[in-house]
Amino acid sequence: MKKNRIAASALALSVCLSLAACSGGGETPAPASSAPAGTAPAGTPAAESDLAYVREKGVLVVGITEFEPMDYQDSDGNWIGFDADMARAFGESLGVDVEFQIIDWDNKIFELDGRTIDVVWNGMTLTDEVLSAMECSNAYCNNAQVVVVPAGMADQYQDVESLSGLTFAVESGSAGAQQAQEYSFTYNEVVDQATALLEVSSGTSDAAIIDSLMAGAMVGEGTSYDNLTSTVTLNAEEGEQYGVGFRKGSDLCPALNEFFASSYADGTMMQIAETYGVQATIIPQ
Amino acid sequence: MFLTVIGALNEGFLQTLRLFAVTLLGAIPLGLVISFGSMSRLTPLRWLARTVVWIIRGTPLMLQLIVIFYVPGMVLEGGSPWPGGESGRFLASAIAFIINYACYFSEIYRGGIQGVPAGQQEAGLVLGMTKSQIFFRVTLLQMIKRIVPPMANEIITLVKDTSIARIISLQEVIWAGYAFMKGSHGYSGLWWPLLFTGLYYLIFNGGLTLLFAWVEKKLDYFK
Repeated sequence: MKKNRIAASALALSVCLSLAACSGGGETPAPASSAPAGTAPAGTPAAESDLAYVREKGVLVVGITEFEPMDYQDSDGNWIGFDADMARAFGESLGVDVEFQIIDWDNKIFELDGRTIDVVWNGMTLTDEVLSAMECSNAYCNNAQVVVVPAGMADQYQDVESLSGLTFAVESGSAGAQQAQEYSFTYNEVVDQATALLEVSSGTSDAAIIDSLMAGAMVGEGTSYDNLTSTVTLNAEEGEQYGVGFRKGSDLCPALNEFFASSYADGTMMQIAETYGVQATIIPQ
Repeated sequence: MFLTVIGALNEGFLQTLRLFAVTLLGAIPLGLVISFGSMSRLTPLRWLARTVVWIIRGTPLMLQLIVIFYVPGMVLEGGSPWPGGESGRFLASAIAFIINYACYFSEIYRGGIQGVPAGQQEAGLVLGMTKSQIFFRVTLLQMIKRIVPPMANEIITLVKDTSIARIISLQEVIWAGYAFMKGSHGYSGLWWPLLFTGLYYLIFNGGLTLLFAWVEKKLDYFK
């Protein structure tokens, strides 16, 4: 009995040690430490070519969150959506596999710089913060921030003035949060836009500010939030655009811009956009 | 719809259980090593062990996960050392959890070992037993009896703490429940799957509670 316990603890210890050894060994698959720097375009601050790094490991890791209609899962668990399909086509043009990795949106820059993903491709609004932290592609999609309120109260909130007394839920670090600041609304920051909708639905916030593209897919009749509706568009005039983010100085970025241009020219981009009903928002490349 | 949700939650809970099991397997023995370190007569070793325990217990597990997972890829030449996909996130979570829980366990062990009356060790020495003989044949089982209630506490906390790994996007059961709010398996805007995950924890911890009660009873013959 006692011997067995000792043997068991010895076994557990060896498992522990082999795990530690495994973590040390984890460094071996690190690819492309000496990727040819010659392929990097002149003037990029990146020490080595990001494109060569991705090609050498043979897989482009795309950081996404669950976000209808850009990146979401169909009933079989496959990633679909306008961004997902475009990312797959871009990977094909580079000759690499595409792997989708769900990330915590707050950690997107960590994920890029820690090279646990290669690109953030998830209906990302090109804000000043994003532009300064990432190498961003040309804008490919128009978006705006809309206010979402319970359907029964929609009549009372049809202009910006009527909104001043409300408490808003916004995704932290999002373009919606920026709008709330600009209008000096009272707001609570929550982890993502879906939670902002949940806040309104449960009544813990009066209203939410989210992407109009997302509101189109998730709010109103025929959706799970048929008790909510979108009303005022906050930044209709200046608008905002979606872009794709890479590591600072990455040469994947010009490659994507080229891909966007050719895919727009031959009609594939619009074809994919029509599949997900976002064709009206696409920006000509 | 119910079956789809249950399927996705089951998958998430498997990941939760995997992290739980690997953490226990690693942290139980590692904690013993650390507790020996913190009771060592070699001053540098003792200080090293106590410093490690101080740092790990003194900082949030969430922060430790972020440091372990993201920082290597920022400082190492060749990019992130973690394997791609879910396995890299699991490995990083497992290592962070093992180190973190080993530090807590080590203090529980220390209490258990130091709680065994010193007279018993002296008696062992008089009988000509070596130090390791005394530990394994005299101290160990009494220590195990003493530490069962505090260990049960920590282990039940561990089951629930695994959800912290979602900060590095490990898709455990809370993540799987949350995903149905944003769009997963063809559904979006569902909030009940997230609340439903509570049942998984509750049932599993219920089983653990029974197990610990049984273990305690088994160990009752040590007074």
